[in-house]
Amino acid sequence: MSDVQLRASGITKRFQGVTALAEVTVEVERGSIHGVVGPNGAGKSTLLNIMSGFVPPTEGTVELEGRDITRLTPQRRVPLGMTRTFQNLRLFGGLTVRQNVLLGQHSHARTGFASLWPVPTAKERQLRQEADAALETFGLTELSRRRAETLPYGLQKQLEMARAVAARPSLLLMDEPAAGMTAQERRALVPRIRQLRDEGVTVVVVEHDMDLISQMCDVVTVLNFGRMLIEGPPDVALASDDVRTAYLGG
Amino acid sequence: MDAYTEAVVIKVGIAILLALGYWVTVATGKYSFGHAAFMSIGAYTASILTLKFDLPLELAMLVGGLAGAVIGAFIGWIALRLSMLYLAIITFAFAEIVRILLDGWDYVGGATGLFGMTGTTVELVAVCIAVVVVYLFFLSRSRKGLSYEAIREDEQAARACGLGVTRISVEAFAVSAAITGVAGALSAHETLIITPNLFGAPQSLLIILFVVLGGVQYFWGAIVGAVVLTMLPIWFDFLEDYYQITYGLMFVLLMILRPQGIVGRGTDRRINLGSLRELATSRRGGGGDE
Repeated sequence: MSDVQLRASGITKRFQGVTALAEVTVEVERGSIHGVVGPNGAGKSTLLNIMSGFVPPTEGTVELEGRDITRLTPQRRVPLGMTRTFQNLRLFGGLTVRQNVLLGQHSHARTGFASLWPVPTAKERQLRQEADAALETFGLTELSRRRAETLPYGLQKQLEMARAVAARPSLLLMDEPAAGMTAQERRALVPRIRQLRDEGVTVVVVEHDMDLISQMCDVVTVLNFGRMLIEGPPDVALASDDVRTAYLGG
Repeated sequence: MDAYTEAVVIKVGIAILLALGYWVTVATGKYSFGHAAFMSIGAYTASILTLKFDLPLELAMLVGGLAGAVIGAFIGWIALRLSMLYLAIITFAFAEIVRILLDGWDYVGGATGLFGMTGTTVELVAVCIAVVVVYLFFLSRSRKGLSYEAIREDEQAARACGLGVTRISVEAFAVSAAITGVAGALSAHETLIITPNLFGAPQSLLIILFVVLGGVQYFWGAIVGAVVLTMLPIWFDFLEDYYQITYGLMFVLLMILRPQGIVGRGTDRRINLGSLRELATSRRGGGGDE
């Protein structure tokens, strides 16, 4: 039996008369890596923005674990286990690498006036250990005191992932994680995302790089001009005639 | 301490409180253009309580701060969801409305204001500053302080991390208004007389300048800005009529040399003489000189 963790049903999004998405339905299985692909302007990022709450849909609903979250703000989705990364990195550039990761834990930490008390609680100490472990995993320990904006681009991408993972998500939405990365960094990305899945995180990934998608995804949704073309395992979906036509024209 | 020195110390102390109060909202990247309104709310609330209800200043001052916080939270809740421009307009308009209302309110003396308030001492001001400094010291080392910085850096990223941006900004704005209200109460009980016009746009601007001059990054920058700007008229007294021009020129120079303020990290840690050269070069280049 299927175990759907995230369901976006009948999603339509119109921007001032232009239809970016038309009645798209995507079901994300728990524990899968779900790719969303399509040519430029297909509506991939819009779909991700709707799933994460940054853009409201014109029509349709988003459900997480069976609960309707369509009207929840992005920050209220984080405690429910949903985090995201951005296509054009959104780090806290003036803050240190470690501070960025600590901010990822916001929904688990005490942040009220009581947090001003200088002696950390047992929970806070544990969170700090987790933050250090996340820095270690993403190879950022040595750089933890550097300001985020001073890191090279590839490492900034790593930091954004580390920050998202620090939120202990059950569902991670990634918008073009490989964009701007070197070939070497791209190769390192696949095992990293797979490892996340193996640790129990469901991943939705919007990506241009077809090789990457076919290497790591369990399921792929192909969008074209805001409509869903096909959904299925990458070897089947990406080989279909409709998809070839959409990418190659004609 | 002679009376003159005491007056100067209290004046500087109140300026420091105003600057620290304003810094709290600036820490979240939100600039108010009408903070003098919270100063007047604190000043009038405390003055009414001490003059008409014989409350001790210490208590009246706290109520003044509380009044500032409540009204600050309300204004913040309306304005902080909006862009910087709307925040500027709403806070500016709010300060004007408060000023006009006080001007027409006979109970507090209308345009002639209230007079006869006393009681502000160096010790009381020092205690208030100490409390605020201790608060800000711990704030800037806490997750709460970190969430302020995150909002200042990037609101969208903050939302993606689960930060309730509006709630946190409103809270910071209310704390800021509370400290400003207390400073207003202390100021009223030092100057003996308050009128609505004391809390107009120039006062709001002065509070902004304390923080911008000192630097927004660390709270002690605000202290430096407040001390320097309050002492300047005294130090530069000998300039007489040329004082205002010198004052203006100093600001222009500072914004070129150290746009991040006296304290704080910019793109370059050193005092940036290069930017003056760049300015001169681009002028020559742009002017099309042969």
